[in-house]
Parts: sequence; C-alpha cells; structure tokens
Amino acid sequence: MTAADFVLGAQWVFLTYFVGINLGYLSQNVIATMGIRRYLQTAEQFEAEGVFSALDVPVSVVVPAYNESASIISSVKALLQLEYPDFELVVVNDGSTDDTLEKLIEGFSLQPFPEAYRARVECKPVKAIYRSARYRNLRVIDKENGGCKADASNAGINACRYPLVCVVDADSILQPDSLRRIVRPFLEDSTTVAVGGTVRIANGCTVRQGFLEKVGLPSNFLALVQVVEYLRAFLFGRMGWSPINGLLIISGAFGVFHKETMVEVGGFNPRAVGEDMELILRLHRLMKAKRRPYRITFIPDPVCWTDAPETLKDLRSQRVRWQHGLGQCLFMNRSLIFNPRGGAVSWLAIPFYLIFELFGPIIEVAGYVFIIVCAWMGWLSWPEAAIFLALAIGLGILLSTSAIMLEELSFHMYPRTRDLMVLYLVAVIENLGYRQLTAFWRLQGLIRWWRGGQHKWETITRSTSLADN
Amino acid sequence: MLAWLFDTAYETQVRAALWSTLAAGLATAVLFAYTLGLRFATVIGARRRRHLVARWRGIFATAVLSRADAEGELLPRIRRHQHSNLLEEWNRARDTVEGSAADNLIILADRLGLARTARGLLRSRRLSARLLGVQTLGHLRDADSRAEIAALVASPNTALSITSAVALTEIDAARAVEKLVPLITARRDWPRTRVSRILRKAGSARVSEPLYRAIRSGDDDEKIYLLQFAPLAEAEIVDALCDELIRTTHHPGVLTAALKQVSGHTGVPRLASLARHEAWYVRMQVAKVLGRIGQMEHVSLLASLLDDPEWWVRYRAAQSLVRLPFLGPNALRDLRERQEDRYARDMLEQAMAEAGLA
Repeated sequence: MTAADFVLGAQWVFLTYFVGINLGYLSQNVIATMGIRRYLQTAEQFEAEGVFSALDVPVSVVVPAYNESASIISSVKALLQLEYPDFELVVVNDGSTDDTLEKLIEGFSLQPFPEAYRARVECKPVKAIYRSARYRNLRVIDKENGGCKADASNAGINACRYPLVCVVDADSILQPDSLRRIVRPFLEDSTTVAVGGTVRIANGCTVRQGFLEKVGLPSNFLALVQVVEYLRAFLFGRMGWSPINGLLIISGAFGVFHKETMVEVGGFNPRAVGEDMELILRLHRLMKAKRRPYRITFIPDPVCWTDAPETLKDLRSQRVRWQHGLGQCLFMNRSLIFNPRGGAVSWLAIPFYLIFELFGPIIEVAGYVFIIVCAWMGWLSWPEAAIFLALAIGLGILLSTSAIMLEELSFHMYPRTRDLMVLYLVAVIENLGYRQLTAFWRLQGLIRWWRGGQHKWETITRSTSLADN
Repeated sequence: MLAWLFDTAYETQVRAALWSTLAAGLATAVLFAYTLGLRFATVIGARRRRHLVARWRGIFATAVLSRADAEGELLPRIRRHQHSNLLEEWNRARDTVEGSAADNLIILADRLGLARTARGLLRSRRLSARLLGVQTLGHLRDADSRAEIAALVASPNTALSITSAVALTEIDAARAVEKLVPLITARRDWPRTRVSRILRKAGSARVSEPLYRAIRSGDDDEKIYLLQFAPLAEAEIVDALCDELIRTTHHPGVLTAALKQVSGHTGVPRLASLARHEAWYVRMQVAKVLGRIGQMEHVSLLASLLDDPEWWVRYRAAQSLVRLPFLGPNALRDLRERQEDRYARDMLEQAMAEAGLA
C-alpha cells in the first residue's frame, strides 16, 4: 500500500464517519422537533387540569447522599416542598465520613425507627433507619459505605413503599412541579417503566431555598459551553430516541422508575460506572427477553438543574468517567446489539452509540492527527481542508442552532434576548478548541474502560454562583 | 469559490462538501432568523396579552358579581388579533366559577359573540385553536355545537378527544355520561385523571348506572380498568357490584380491583378463603379490607397474615391491626409477643412505631 492509497483510504473512513454521524444527528433533530411540537400541543391541556385525584400514583423519592454535609439540609427541605399529592422522601446516607447524618438528625428531628427492612436488591448492610418527627413522609437510611451511588440508591429502593421510585441526586435542583410533570407518562401509558426529563445547567441561575428562582447564564466559559451542550444532548439527543422507544439513558440526576420492574431487574448495578445508563439498558434487555410491552420515555420539560464543572480538571474527570461508563454499559449489555427481537434499541440506538459515541473519539482524534501529519508531510490541499473544516464547523453550529431554536420554541427559559445571543456565540466558539478537547478526554475515557478502571463516588467542586445562593 | 461549485472537473467529494457547507450556513441563518422571530413574537404577544388582561379582567370580575353588569356594561371593541387571548382569558375566568357567576359570564360571552368565534375555531387546522374552541363551547354549554363536539370525541388525537369529552359533559352531563362511559375502556389513551374529573363533574347519581353496566358486561381486563373509577359512583351500588364480583370471579386482578373498592361493610364474601389466595396482592387487599371492616372476629385472621411470606401482606395486616379501635397498645404488645415468627413481630413493631404506639 502506498502513502497515497493510505491517505485516500483514511479520507473515505473519515468522510463516511462524518456523513454518518451528521445524518444521525439531523434525523434525531427532525424526530425531536416533531416530538416536542406534539408534546407541547397536549401539555398545556393536561397541565390546565391542575387538580390531581386519588388516582395519581404515589411516588417514593430516593436521595443517595455521600458527604453532602454542606447542602443536605437545604436539598431535603426543597424536596419536601415538591408539589405532589402523595410522596415520601427516602434519604440514604452512604456511610458519609463527614457529619451528613448528624445534620439530618438534628435538622429534621430524626428518631430511630424499627422498620422491617427487606433487602430486595443488592446493597451493603443498613445500620439504622430513622424517621422524622416533624415530617411524616421523611425517612433516612444509614448504611455502610457501598462506595458508589448505585449501592446507596439500591438501599433506598429497598425501603421504598410506593409503586414509582424517583432517584434524585442530593445536589440536584428541581422545579416545584418536577414530579407532577415527570409522572405524566406513567398516567398516560401503563406500560411505562421509566421516565427521564431534561437536565439543565444551574450555574449562573439564582437558587433560593433549594428551588430555582431565576434562570441565567453562567459567567464561566466552560459552564457556558455546557449549557449549549446540554440543550443539544437533551432536546434532540434524547428526545430524538424517545418516540421510537430507543432511549438508552435516563440521567441519574433525576429519573422515575416503576419500582417492581426495577426490583425485577435487580436495581442499579454497583459495579457499573454509568449506573444510570446500565439500568436502562438492562431494562430494555429484560423487557425484550420477556416479550413484554414497555415504554422508556423522555419528557422535554426542564425538570432538573444541576451544577456543571467549571474547571478543566473537573470537566475532564467527568468526561473520562462518562466515556468509561458508556463502554462498560454497552459491553455489559452486549447481547442487545443486533438482537433479532431488539427493535430500535438493538438495530438503531446501540449501533449509533457504539460507532459514533463510543468509538467516535478514536476517529475524531485520529482525524486531527491525520490532518496535522498530512500538513506536515505537505500532502494537505489547504483549500479542500478549509472546505471540510468549514463544513464540520457549519454542521456543528447548525445542530446547536437547532437546539437553541427548540428551546425557544418550547420552554424559552432564557428570557433575555442577550442570553440568546450569547448562546449563539457559544455555539460558534465551542467548535474551536472545546470540542477537540472533549474528544481527547473521551478517548482517554475509552482507554480507561479498556484497561478497567475503578468506580467510586464522584465529587466536583461546587460553582461559586450556586454556593452563594 | 463560485468557480469550484460549478467546475465539473473538480472532485465530486469536495464539491459536495462545499454545497453542504453552504446549505448548512443557509439553514443556520434561517433557524437563527426564525428563533429571533419567535422571540420577538413572544415579546409582542406577551405585551398584547398583558394589555388585554389588564382591560378585561376587571370586566369579567364585575360580570361575575352582577348579572346586571354582565347584561348592561359597556364593552370595549375587540380587534381580530385579540380573539384568542380573549377566549383564553374568558375560559380562565369561567374555570374558577360555578352557578350564577358562571351564568353571568355566559351572558357576557353571548354579548361578545364568543360562541361564533369558538365555532369558527373548531374548523381551524391548528390543534391549539380547535382545543380552545372546544373548551370555550363546553364552558358556554353551547347545545348547538353538541353534535360537532360529539364527533370530535372519536378523534385519534388524545387531547382533542378528551377535551371534547369534557365539553360534552358540560353541555349535557346525562347524555355525555351515557356516551362516554362505554368508551373509557377503548380509550386507554385518555388520562385517568381527566376521566375521573369528567365523571366527578357529572355526579355519582348519573355515573352509577352506566358504570355498573359497563363493568358487569366488560371482560376481565375491562372490569379491572373500570373499577378504578368506582369511587365516583354511589357507594351502595359499588358495594353490591364488588360483592358480586368477589363471589363470582376467580381472576386475581378482578378480585384485587373489587377488594380495593369495597367499603367497610360487614358482608364482604369469601374473605377467609381469599386470605389464603395464591396471589399475594389479593391477600394484601384482604388485609386492607379487614382493617376497614374493623370487626373483633377478624383479629385472628389478620394476625394469621402477619407471617405471610410477602412483605406487603404483613405490612398491611399489621397496619390494619394497629388501626382497630378496640385493640389498645397493651393488646397489640401482647399480640406481638405471641407471634412465633420474627418477621411477624418485626412488622407489628414497625406498624406500632408508625402509629406512635411503640
């Protein structure tokens, strides 16, 4: 093979990848746009009811917490104020080494409670169960440290009493009506087993008493880019898969599950790095194996706001972990790939994730290296390279613009026109450096998965804007 | 650059890339302009709406309080672009009132010609406009639109169909219930909260008979689905129906649904045998029913459920025992100590602690 043959072959690989990924994203975009329009047409009518009857399903909200001393009281207080007729709050202290438990005991007048606890899904032993003397719907499970959120969540699931389980991060900021919105698919379709909603970036927003008071954009550049990234990921990344029942992930920050189905599949997997995605894949696998009709649904409503990393170190750690988790989850559930009974999950969603999300970084980083080498060797046709670069950046901007348009069409959470302009500017700038950096980190994550990394509770530095609130 | 675009000698890949770049740029520009347009339309729309609300809210409030004002107050001229906002605002006001206040708002709406506007919306291609039209005509109790709205109940669109069902109930509750109850099992896409609200609005006296007939004639799956709405019918009819179902059915789902709805009357059949039913959820419902009945003779049956293999059966049995008014803390403690099974003791202890009796 000559150098020219190699270059030509490589060009075709990159071109095929490029066309494939962009066609995929554009298709998701079209499906998501139609889905959101349909959703919004009916949402207002359903929401207008405003009154919930005894037919509404009670929900158990599970809050796994590890060393959350600084924020646990305000988080739990906010969760207790959720607008929902019947819910219980189960906080799980996963053997925190700080004073998380002491703060909970003091803050909510907790008393030891002789609960007949039953371990239906695997988790480390429970040391004690407390019940609040002030809030009848609040219980705290104190357990031995399981080393990860999955183990703590499983202990919470074991203690839940209601048919729906909502798992929420202790640092997630919810809308007061989050539960009401996210439960809607369960009321509309009895085959629904899991529902996720849009997660947004809380950096730059004003938070008061645990609730979002005013939406704003962060001043930190990395957080700002993640605002656009999250819009893309949720508004068409997930909304695009949901209508064909091909959703592969429900964010661990906020998701609601049918409890018995969750128990049936064994709860969260403590060995999985991306326990949220792994659970969804396992749900698909079990339901398809048992040939049961089921729905895993996504609602576009912004129901949960989360703190995004503001430093390169935290962001890198997050992206490496996500990629590691993706690889591990897909490998753990590899029997789904091209499964004859798998439908859209097996034939569309997983192949797309495998080629473009998991192995994508290899092609992307190789592409950058290839361009540098070609330029170095004098093989690069600069005008042609400029055209392809313009196309890559142009399509990136188009996808981001489309996500911003969907946001404006649906929820227009950023009320200032200036914010809209900033988002557009970021949609352009993120293509020049940020995307390349994240591709490199994702490649590192892929290597970490290949080598087999360890899984433990992740901590990120809180953004100042939120801490001040 | 233009030369490249049309230069046939130039490599196809590159020309395709160049065209695609231009197309992406154009699409981005269009989306950008559309988004800005949306933003400005939202801002202008919100401003117009604020003006309209400021003007009309007071008029609606006055009309609600006084029939004379509803009939005689001088009304501002309505511009065409205000129609939708005005209908929405009127519906909002109408949603909050009943009785004579609602009648007054309907008088005001007649003077404004809202029925004509709403009928026009029924033929709109926009779903939101049709929904607004149906909702308004329902609130207006517009009998002339009944047939047209009844036809929309069959719409495959869930929102349009259920909103039409609500409107029909407002126009003529008795006829609506007769038409809608047989549709409930076929329209599983109708949210149960909405269905229950329709039935509640119609009233238990109107709902009981059609619901009774539908449950009796339905298959097992339909029985289970319809029994959810039983609390919206008259209690005596529900009890009689549930007793009949409990006596005659062997389907665990139907048994559970019937046991769920049965009230605390003493004659519930087959409780002792159902307490040993193979399906744990039937046994759990038996424990709950026994608690609702609250008879001394059932204490031993409830106590026997305390060592059931299923957690929920034990839990409900313990809760029922703790709630029995004639069993005080000492009696409960005695009962707990008498349990040979550790799980039974633990469960009773938990239920007592929950009730503050530990």
